[in-house]
Amino acid sequence: MKRSLSLIIGCLVIALALSPNAWAWGKAKVIKIGINAPITGDIPKVGEGTKYAAQMWLEDVEAAGGLEIDGKKYKVELVIEDNEAKAESAVKANTKMITQDEVIAIVGPQSSKQAVPAGGVANDWATPMITPWSTNPDSTKDRPYVFRGCFLDPFQGPVVANFITEEFGATKAAVLYDVASDYPKGLAEFFKIAWEKIHGPGSVVAFESFTTKDADFSSQLTKIIQSGAEVIFTPQYYNEVALIVQQAHELGWQKPIVGSDSWGSAETVNLCGPDCYGLFFSSHYAAAGATGSTKAFIDRYEKKYGYVPDDVAALTWDSLGIVQKAIESMGKLTGNIEKDRTAVRNALAKVKDFEGITGKMTFTEDGDPIKCAVIVKINDKGEFEFYKSVCP
Amino acid sequence: MTNQQPEIQSNGPSKGVKGFFKAFRSYFSCVPMLGWLAGILAAVLFERFLGDLIAEALGLPKVPVLFGCMIMLKDLHLMPSALAFLIGVYFIPILLVGRALASVFNALAGMIYKISPMFSVVLHLALLYLVLHLWADISAYRVMTLKFTLVAIMLTLSLNVINGYMGEFSCSHPGFMALGAYAASVFTLVLFTNDRFFGEAVLSPSLGVYFFPVAIIIGGFTAALGALVIAIPSFRTRGDYLAIISLAFMFIVKSLIENLEVVGGPRGLGSQPNYASLPMVFGWTVLCIWVINNFVRSTLGKALNAVRDDESAADAMTVNTRRTKMVGFLFGAFWAGAAGGLFAHILRYVNPASFGLQRLAEILAMVYFGGLNSVHGSIVGAVSISLLGEALRPLELFKWIIIPLLLILVMIFRPTGLIAFKEFDVKQLVRPKN
Repeated sequence: MKRSLSLIIGCLVIALALSPNAWAWGKAKVIKIGINAPITGDIPKVGEGTKYAAQMWLEDVEAAGGLEIDGKKYKVELVIEDNEAKAESAVKANTKMITQDEVIAIVGPQSSKQAVPAGGVANDWATPMITPWSTNPDSTKDRPYVFRGCFLDPFQGPVVANFITEEFGATKAAVLYDVASDYPKGLAEFFKIAWEKIHGPGSVVAFESFTTKDADFSSQLTKIIQSGAEVIFTPQYYNEVALIVQQAHELGWQKPIVGSDSWGSAETVNLCGPDCYGLFFSSHYAAAGATGSTKAFIDRYEKKYGYVPDDVAALTWDSLGIVQKAIESMGKLTGNIEKDRTAVRNALAKVKDFEGITGKMTFTEDGDPIKCAVIVKINDKGEFEFYKSVCP
Repeated sequence: MTNQQPEIQSNGPSKGVKGFFKAFRSYFSCVPMLGWLAGILAAVLFERFLGDLIAEALGLPKVPVLFGCMIMLKDLHLMPSALAFLIGVYFIPILLVGRALASVFNALAGMIYKISPMFSVVLHLALLYLVLHLWADISAYRVMTLKFTLVAIMLTLSLNVINGYMGEFSCSHPGFMALGAYAASVFTLVLFTNDRFFGEAVLSPSLGVYFFPVAIIIGGFTAALGALVIAIPSFRTRGDYLAIISLAFMFIVKSLIENLEVVGGPRGLGSQPNYASLPMVFGWTVLCIWVINNFVRSTLGKALNAVRDDESAADAMTVNTRRTKMVGFLFGAFWAGAAGGLFAHILRYVNPASFGLQRLAEILAMVYFGGLNSVHGSIVGAVSISLLGEALRPLELFKWIIIPLLLILVMIFRPTGLIAFKEFDVKQLVRPKN
């Protein structure tokens, strides 16, 4: 027993002496940026897109030799934490990144149910955080340190209402949404308000709901068809979109179905197939027919990971770009992490007309960006094609 | 009742790993609880004052926050350093102080015990809090993990009352937790916070901290009230109805909150005041363990066991089975509600999606991993699953393979859980070992 014990200790000492870290005494200063992403849990595809976009960004920065602050290059390290698509995990991950890893800024979490509590932690610790995808106003409200990379639902609702009015000349609309999920519910309500403002009260002839994980929508769709609606608006996620569109067509619905930015996943067309061709939705960017830096990003991503990036990846990319711009324009790195975080926050608040791949961005007082929405058409090849741009 | 392995009793010559463990156990068996706590205190103090220095010398970026697991899994090169830190800062001081001063602590523990066993328990608890506080003080991440772990202990114990001691299968714990969380949140938000939902604070916000226990109790009672709704119909019958009704109840609570715009609907309710400090959560957890432990050891607790083992026989022996089951169920629900109230104030945000099937699976896993019908087991189960979940986080997807695999292994080798059917005798625990 004694011999095996001394053997273990001996091995440990040797391993310790040989480990490269034992000799890395004077370490160079590294800027750490946290990524809080749902890598496991309900929406792993979102986490994957976030992670891939972040890794691509890191490659770029490394190729440039690091971030340049005040004429000096600093190395960058990403701290990617999994939040399991759970609120308390997102809070723990943020706390860990802020206090343990000492990140200078955090990008993520993506969904509102994690971004709202995690934003509270970031604000309490005075650490700048950008949530690329969260649309809940509470994420950034009264939180000077929390920003957002996407437009809000109070903007998107009217965009879609106006677009449908102009494009199809419809006056009666139906809405089908998930009552148990915060994003579809919020957007459905904003759409209803906007639509009734244009066409008068009662012009939303059917306002039908279901609950998360429902798979049969025939009763709601039958009601919608009987109500005489001319268009269906359904702000759902990719898995439900496919079911809703297919079932609507089976029930004889031939009129348009319009969606929102949650449609913009690579999976939508994979699951839905030709049923979805020719439909429109509002989004942050369109992959097919993109030009300039947007196209460069898409091509690179597709080549590397084998599929066209969805809007989460694009928004994460932009959020990291804004963080980079803020860090590079913050003036000087003091080495005191608290002071540096505040400097980054102040630089973020001053960002004007940032040219991102999802459009130009300027932050408002609340940390929400002013940016344009894009109307996307799913073309006959199943690609997301740019149709038109709507600006506030 | 005893689940001890036979090899512990055998006295023959010992060889190999088993022998090593046996020698190890007998060598340290004379250390009293006081000695262990003192050893941990020494280790924690050691880490506090020299941790940074040692970590730097070993080439670690910072003091390993969860016993080095995260560092090891993130960067395999750092494994020896992290292990060395763990052994040097934790194992050696704990074992050394515990063993070397065992006789001193035994005498001391005996002296305190003679004054009054209750006093001894309180002293041990104070020491335990000191240890936890010093340990967690190193980083806010530890505080956060510790708070959620303590809440997990409360939840596991309260479910164990129903699933373990009473032998019914209840699935409504997330529902009770949600009721408690929302009730407590609404109480503190309406009375002590200026927020968007309920407007100006009714009372002065400075009073809030003192009324926080009231909020938790209200949360508990709301959950118990909800439990009454299940208990009345399901305990009229015998059999597995409770599982189905309670599962339905969980979904009812979730949809109810989703459709209640007053409390934010699916968007959730945020900006709860920061009242759930570590001493507060620790105090509630201790209270919960103490009350539940006394409950299950009382006549009523024994009646619960009798009902579980054979309801007709219990009835014949003058146990009022329906009342017993009702009380047990409501009691479990109360503590789940209290845990929910604490949870809401630690997270400072609640939304209905947090109280779904995933949460249920988590709590059930803790109960069955730790062991049915045992307070020890619940504590062990809650702590180990919480810490494992946190420590294996860098493994991402593989974490969800490893934890279920562990559960399956436990179910194969110890079908009732790690430490099942064992009585938790606090006095025995604090007694000197000689």
